[in-house]
Amino acid sequence: MRFNEKELVFLSRQPSEMAAELGMRGPKKGDVVKRRLVKLVVNFLFYFRPDEEEPVGALLLEQCRVERDDSQTFSIVFLDEAERRYLFECDSEEECGKWIDSIIKASYEFMRRNLIFYRTEIHRLTGKDPLEQYGISDETRFQVSNGLQLMPRDTSSL
Amino acid sequence: MKIDEKVVSYFGLCNSPVDKEGYLSKKGELKTSYQKRWFVLKGNLLFYKDRQADRDLIGVIVLEGCTVQLCESEENFAFSLVWSEPGLRTYKFAAEDQVSQESWIKALLSASHSYLALLLLDMEKKYRGESPSDLISAGGGMTATFVLESSCERRCITASSLHNTHHVRCDAFDGFSSERGKSFTMPNFSTTAADQPGACLSQRTSALSLYMSQAAGARPSQLLQPQAVPSSRAASKKSPKLWPKRSANTVPASGAALPTMEWSGFRLGTQEDFSKLHEDFGKEVKDLIVDWSRRGRAGEVVQRDNLIDF
Repeated sequence: MRFNEKELVFLSRQPSEMAAELGMRGPKKGDVVKRRLVKLVVNFLFYFRPDEEEPVGALLLEQCRVERDDSQTFSIVFLDEAERRYLFECDSEEECGKWIDSIIKASYEFMRRNLIFYRTEIHRLTGKDPLEQYGISDETRFQVSNGLQLMPRDTSSL
Repeated sequence: MKIDEKVVSYFGLCNSPVDKEGYLSKKGELKTSYQKRWFVLKGNLLFYKDRQADRDLIGVIVLEGCTVQLCESEENFAFSLVWSEPGLRTYKFAAEDQVSQESWIKALLSASHSYLALLLLDMEKKYRGESPSDLISAGGGMTATFVLESSCERRCITASSLHNTHHVRCDAFDGFSSERGKSFTMPNFSTTAADQPGACLSQRTSALSLYMSQAAGARPSQLLQPQAVPSSRAASKKSPKLWPKRSANTVPASGAALPTMEWSGFRLGTQEDFSKLHEDFGKEVKDLIVDWSRRGRAGEVVQRDNLIDF
């Protein structure tokens, strides 16, 4: 599958608040834990060999769930048929918790659902669609998931 | 660098929300010919395959760090995705008609993760009653109403159209007077466009697209992208290992963790929020409209107050 590798590598160089050396184990049988510099940028998790500029690889953080395996270990499990699992070992319980939280919240789909939630709630509480002031109420990506559209003209319904 | 293809492919094919899909012609990297492909936009990923009915995806374009521009092309209804860093690509596309072109440009402009993050932050603030335009906050009173009214006037200017005009305004503008004879295309992304056939912004040309590409080359920090006022910090060119390690809580207790990002094409100022960004652009659009009208239509001066509010 083709992808814009150079641009993705460029993305991996952007500063990130979530970046650390962790133990990482791949999804294949026989994969062992290796030390990797793991870095979260938008909804991608890049991992580098220590001291290397270019990432070894990139994981798209969509259609996955994050599980805590023990106090310092978490896994990212992808929702394909094989349920492929990447395991990460952290240096502390606190670090582990931060990673789990950040990865969950980095997912575009997670963010979109949150946005729709806030939009719905604000509309319910105030009678106004908060996206209306930006003129983006009709954009496909912000539509309420059950198919109901928040009609901008519905401001009188309270 | 490898990418976990199975993961990406699964995301592209699963039934998660599709933001836009349709046929576009895409120019090959090496060849000059355009190939028709079926594109599927999901979030900040643009997938493509040969035909709609095909099961397998040929490829994906990650839409981060790029801008969307009109472009000069032998094809009609062309636009491009541009990464302005040296060595990075420009993808050229051609839509089937103007409606499709505008629709795609609009969808791609707001596809980035950062855009969604900023908007989400704004929504969270409103929900918690921290935003000045929020009606929930108890002490809002007159101030809240005022802010809401003025922002409502500008409400129909979408982020996309703002960014378009904002973009053109930079640099390329001086060249415009020499092109007075030609009309120009200003894609009108307004949701109320249908009500305003006389909108002064919709004329046709290729001159605008030329300016946009020029402006892109000249001022990478002013590209078509949702962005805050550029901060004074220079884009970081550090190697990935040298990122600052922050011991403070990196995940705000109250909201989504926002990865901080800085590069030359995009600045996410820490104090900017979506509504301020939106207001800034709104003002610029009005200034721009006045300028264009003054230069483009001989003798006609458009009063700022008489401007059609999109």
